[in-house]
Amino acid sequence: MAKTLFQVEILTPEGKVFDDEVEMVSTRTSVGSIGVLANHTPLLAMLDACELRLHKGDGEILRFAQGEGYMQIGDNKAMILIEDAIPAADLDADDLEARIAERKSELEAMDADTEGARSAERDITRLEAFLSVAASN
Amino acid sequence: MASQRDVKQRVESVRNIQKITSAMEMVAAARLRRAETRIASLRPYAGAIRRMTRQAAAAAGSVPNFPILEERAEVKTVGILLVTGDRGLAGAFNSQIIRAGIRAEAEHAEAGRQVRWYASGRRGVSSLTFRGKELAGSFAGFTDRPAYGDARTIAERLMADYIDGHVDEVQVFYNGYVSALTQVVRAETLLPLQRASVLEEVPEAEEETETGAGHALTEYEPDPDVILHRLIPDYVEISIFRSLLESTASEHGARMTAMRNASENASDVIEDLTLEMNRARQAEITQEIMEVVAGSEALV
Repeated sequence: MAKTLFQVEILTPEGKVFDDEVEMVSTRTSVGSIGVLANHTPLLAMLDACELRLHKGDGEILRFAQGEGYMQIGDNKAMILIEDAIPAADLDADDLEARIAERKSELEAMDADTEGARSAERDITRLEAFLSVAASN
Repeated sequence: MASQRDVKQRVESVRNIQKITSAMEMVAAARLRRAETRIASLRPYAGAIRRMTRQAAAAAGSVPNFPILEERAEVKTVGILLVTGDRGLAGAFNSQIIRAGIRAEAEHAEAGRQVRWYASGRRGVSSLTFRGKELAGSFAGFTDRPAYGDARTIAERLMADYIDGHVDEVQVFYNGYVSALTQVVRAETLLPLQRASVLEEVPEAEEETETGAGHALTEYEPDPDVILHRLIPDYVEISIFRSLLESTASEHGARMTAMRNASENASDVIEDLTLEMNRARQAEITQEIMEVVAGSEALV
């Protein structure tokens, strides 16, 4: 039996990336991995940088590199707000590695425990998450 | 009087300039349309972030204290971010921002406050450096098409400097986009973030539709106040992104207008020079006839 579909909307600051029905959304909140099916209970979650998978049914899966963001579920509709949503195929591993190296060297030059250092660490975590999405291409 | 050939050359060179300026005008017009679309596509995201913040704040009971919401009792150093373009040839676009920034610096100096400079766009960076100002942060190379990541880089830098105490207030100067013909210099206080801008600004009718069903039943992952901790800085990122986008649209608008004026100017110059060229040609012909007539008279 085909699974029930539900509406998913993905918004980034640069526009709408996706607005269609899917079977399942799989992503990661700051608490842990989560898979959302239709008729999920209302939820407000904070998302980490990771791989975002949209299962469209018939084995078709859309993969994105997901930046930090939020997911709001209500009325059997999921709204995903993320800072980046890059289709996995568009990622460039070499470029990501170069940017990680650049931020790491900046981080070394900074004093530990400043907000600047924390923001560099966040950048590195995000870029590394993107890199692992790129690696599984 | 300039010879016929000299004038002809000048007409040619003005005509070439006109070709370039009208091409630049068309390029700017196309980019302006794209920039306008991008401003429009930020709106739903910003609206959704605001709704979530209100929901999380309602669930958390109150907005906890964040460093970027706290006002400093005494403002000693003001951070000024100038949002300019990477390129010139856009009329007063860049210079009016720089002038506004310098004027603000003078006012702060009078009140005994120091200024720490930040600039986005090569024009702002180079003219501040030229004036001998030390830049605490320079961001360039993206003003044709700013990405959200660029706004995040700037926002994180400013917030870090605010939290770490390098600045006690942050102001942003940018060209607000009104229309292709009109851009106004806007000065906004970015940090400390106003509590009111986060919570009280209830937007139009959309508010009614989105809330409704079972707030109390909503699950939070993690706790609402932890979520708020990340939502609040997003406001700063979004408002910087909006200023970058508006500045880009303004830049293209200003360039379009400047280039149209330049093309029209070139037409006038070509007209004048053509007249001069015809006069020069007529003078040469008259001269030759006179010489022929004088020559034939001499033979008789």
